[in-house]
Amino acid sequence: MTRVMLALLATLLAAPAAAHHVGAYVPKDNAVTINFKQVKFSVQARKFDVALRLFETGALRAEMRAHAATLPAGLENETRAALAASDGPEVERRLMIFFAALARDLALEADRRLAEAGGTAESRAATGRKFLEAIWRYYNLVDFAVATRDNKTSVAVRLAFDEAETYVKPATGAAAPADPARLRPPLQRIAQVLSTLIEASPTHARRDS
Amino acid sequence: MTVAAEPHPWRVPPRWVLLVAVLSIVCAELGGASMARFKVELTRWARDAMLARPAVHGLVGVRDVDERILDEALVKFDAGLRLFHMHAEGMGLVIIATTMVAATVARAGVARRVIIALLTTGGAGYPVGYLVWSALIPAYGLERAKTIAEWLVWIPFGSATIVALWWLTGLLALRMIGR
Repeated sequence: MTRVMLALLATLLAAPAAAHHVGAYVPKDNAVTINFKQVKFSVQARKFDVALRLFETGALRAEMRAHAATLPAGLENETRAALAASDGPEVERRLMIFFAALARDLALEADRRLAEAGGTAESRAATGRKFLEAIWRYYNLVDFAVATRDNKTSVAVRLAFDEAETYVKPATGAAAPADPARLRPPLQRIAQVLSTLIEASPTHARRDS
Repeated sequence: MTVAAEPHPWRVPPRWVLLVAVLSIVCAELGGASMARFKVELTRWARDAMLARPAVHGLVGVRDVDERILDEALVKFDAGLRLFHMHAEGMGLVIIATTMVAATVARAGVARRVIIALLTTGGAGYPVGYLVWSALIPAYGLERAKTIAEWLVWIPFGSATIVALWWLTGLLALRMIGR
């Protein structure tokens, strides 16, 4: 009887091996966001020499140079100067401008892509969804910094983002299917609000809270 | 000193079954070793193949967007190889254990042969699905590759294993009730 019970147990334990799973993907930071976090945490720890070294040798500075044409003039030099002067709030503000600019450029590019004709609604929604992910990945890093300086901008970006997300969600159950055509206005709003923030920030740091 | 004879000794499954199980484990080890040895080459090949098919993977030509898509596909490509290694190793042992139970418990010749055949083919074929999935990701994308692997390998071979296991469980239950 014990032998039969053991055999039954061995058989039942073997059954789950037949259920297949394909793992889960956890999105990772890219070189720019990793370097941002390194600099940010060094500044928070008031290790400005470390932060300056990480900035000068990392992907943030390279990315600032690559995007120099769409960034406020002198952003890279001013960020480095703020680090050299051990001015934490100013470093945070410069980096906020940089990531806001990256998010704005992605919103503009997404809007341009969606304006082009061609492709099915599903493929356009998928493209929109991927752009939104990329926008959020950058904006999310500086949302707190934005909110502490200009909470109206922060709320406006998040509302526009939430609205955009509803238009690209895949249809499930009773939910309406994705409608990429309606995605453009919130994307344009994100770009416009962030542009205003970038233009106002270097000279007019304001606090609405 | 005398040794009491076992009333119902375990029966060894046929040699071809043991050979298949051992081969499955050998393939798992070779797969794992190759995965580690050629990691860079495999990743480079998969990345190049994906970049050659931007429409399949939904690449838009913007680095900030595409890097996430490529990263996810490469993570899943690697996961497929790892899961093949893990499942082929495990299913080799499952084949040996379950076919031994079947050879011992199933008395009817036809039933025993069918259960053993299902357990062996299902157990050895199922892990190959992960290899197929992984190999198809660069050419067909994540979801399409998964669908192909499911219908071509996972569902038929997985079903064979499940059917055989439930059949064997039923036989064991009948024997227990009969006692």
